[in-house]
Amino acid sequence: MTAITSTQGTVAGEGRTFLFKRYYRPIVSTLAVLGFLLLWEVAVTLGWVNGRFTSQPTQIYRAALVIFAEDDFGWHCGVSFVSFALGFAMALAVSIPLGLYLGVSRWGRLFLEPPLMALYTAPRIVLLPILIVWLGIGLASKVAIVFLGAVFPIMVNTMAGVRGADHRLATAARAFGATPMDIFLKVLVPGSLPAILMGVRLGVGRGVLSVVIGEMFVSEAGIGHQIMTYGQALQFSKLLVYAFTISLFGYGLTVAVRMLEDRIRNWRPSS
Amino acid sequence: MTQTLQDMATSGRMEIRDLSITYRKPKSDEVFTAVDGVSLTIEKGSFVTIVGSSGCGKSTLLLAMAGLIPKASGVITLGGLEVTKPGRDRAMVFQDASLLPWRTVHGNVRFALELQRWKRDDIDERALRYVRMVGLGAFADYHPHQLSGGMRQRVNIARALCVDPDVLLMDEPFGALDAQTREVMCDELLRIWERDKKTAVFVTHAIDEAIFLGDRVVVMGRNPGHVRDVIEIDLPRPRTNAMLDSAAFVEYRRRLREYIAADLAALQMVEALV
Ligand SMILES: Nc1ncnc2c1ncn2[C@@H]1O[C@H](COP(=O)(O)OP(=O)(O)OP(=O)(O)O)[C@@H](O)[C@H]1O
Ligand SMILES: [Mg+2]
Repeated sequence: MTAITSTQGTVAGEGRTFLFKRYYRPIVSTLAVLGFLLLWEVAVTLGWVNGRFTSQPTQIYRAALVIFAEDDFGWHCGVSFVSFALGFAMALAVSIPLGLYLGVSRWGRLFLEPPLMALYTAPRIVLLPILIVWLGIGLASKVAIVFLGAVFPIMVNTMAGVRGADHRLATAARAFGATPMDIFLKVLVPGSLPAILMGVRLGVGRGVLSVVIGEMFVSEAGIGHQIMTYGQALQFSKLLVYAFTISLFGYGLTVAVRMLEDRIRNWRPSS
Repeated sequence: MTQTLQDMATSGRMEIRDLSITYRKPKSDEVFTAVDGVSLTIEKGSFVTIVGSSGCGKSTLLLAMAGLIPKASGVITLGGLEVTKPGRDRAMVFQDASLLPWRTVHGNVRFALELQRWKRDDIDERALRYVRMVGLGAFADYHPHQLSGGMRQRVNIARALCVDPDVLLMDEPFGALDAQTREVMCDELLRIWERDKKTAVFVTHAIDEAIFLGDRVVVMGRNPGHVRDVIEIDLPRPRTNAMLDSAAFVEYRRRLREYIAADLAALQMVEALV
């Protein structure tokens, strides 16, 4: 029904409420963020908290100007982005096919599920020293740690999506002569797409976290490296500039995946 | 020439001989006989309904006709050929939840044509024709969750008919619908069926539905599932709602009720013993 009203012209006056209805989410979110920044600013200015340790929005803004001017900001972002993009791409390429396979193959699960689950639940940071020995300090180690961070949530969700698929749909397809490949491609894969995308969204979070952690330990550059450096120098305003940058990147990507999920979910009853 | 004549005589005629079907009992190696020694002939172009109390093996029998489950013994032939797996000569309408939720009404009907590898260039149009035939032309772009239960079953019927099967198998297609909608759907199903009189097998709980639709009503009993009787329904076609109150209809209804009541009484006795 909303689809119909949104394409038809509305009576004058209704237009404004309609705009508000449509955009109330971003409006409310923006107000919340602005309110928080204001509170932060005031709390430091009035001495409720010690600005030396909490910094302050205006200080961060000034620090940002300095960083943009003197810090090779773009280069550090680029370094982080390349590690993230490579690791994440590899994770997608491995996790989705593997998750689909494990979803349909009982034998595959018997063999691979225990080790994969052990890796999934273990804190992967413990592997970092081993990775450094294998791959050295630099891009390869970072890509590997991003890969390890993102690959499991996507794989596990993909597998769950396939296994949770409605078997009645597969039976109906078989009644019409579907081959196993038909069932896989036309029933299981589209049916598990929402779960796959949810995994991708979780994977983005893990991947962003991993790239920062990786750079803290195994990099001479990148956002994580800068965060570590400014942290040790107790320059929290500058640290927060980088922290916000990476958060914004992760958030943007998460929102993008969310939008994709919403598009694909339009066949679902809206919740 | 003789070949085609023979095809015309036997395609769509289904023969079931001494059919038994067993299931493995959950968590044990024992088998459970769901259908035992069923023999049945379904003539080409006839409408056969199957009634029986819950759990007597109606769905099991239908799944076997569809070729979806293995037989323990016996044979099923369709048009002289043995049925061992699903085929283009049969199509099935399930009780519920068998539409792909991510496809539209049109997409769901098209799905069946895709699976049967119909020629690409005319499947869109063919699917749309069948969507219109069941009265859903205006809803072709709706997704299943946006439809009522009755509309969803129309889609299921359109999907089964569009592949042009010889035999239409229906497992309680209106089971989830309210009484009024059921009546409307039955009228409609008959209207569609009268056009090309495909062989139809229709499972239902509802005795009136079974009489109203069927040329013959197969009464099944339980423990294990077997055919108790086959009742010829000698009412003229097209069937009308006025017939529901005719003396003949009332008599058929009485006979069928007796069977079902006896079946349930037997069940209660068994349950009282164990
Ligand atoms: N997959 C299965 N595994 C084991 N037993 C089964 C299975 N499917 C059905 N059965 C058993 O077979 C018997 C017949 O089941 P069936 O579904 O054919 O009954 P039905 O006549 O269609 O019942 P209803 O009218 O309730 O749909 C039941 O006792 C049921 O428990
Ligand atoms: Mg049943």
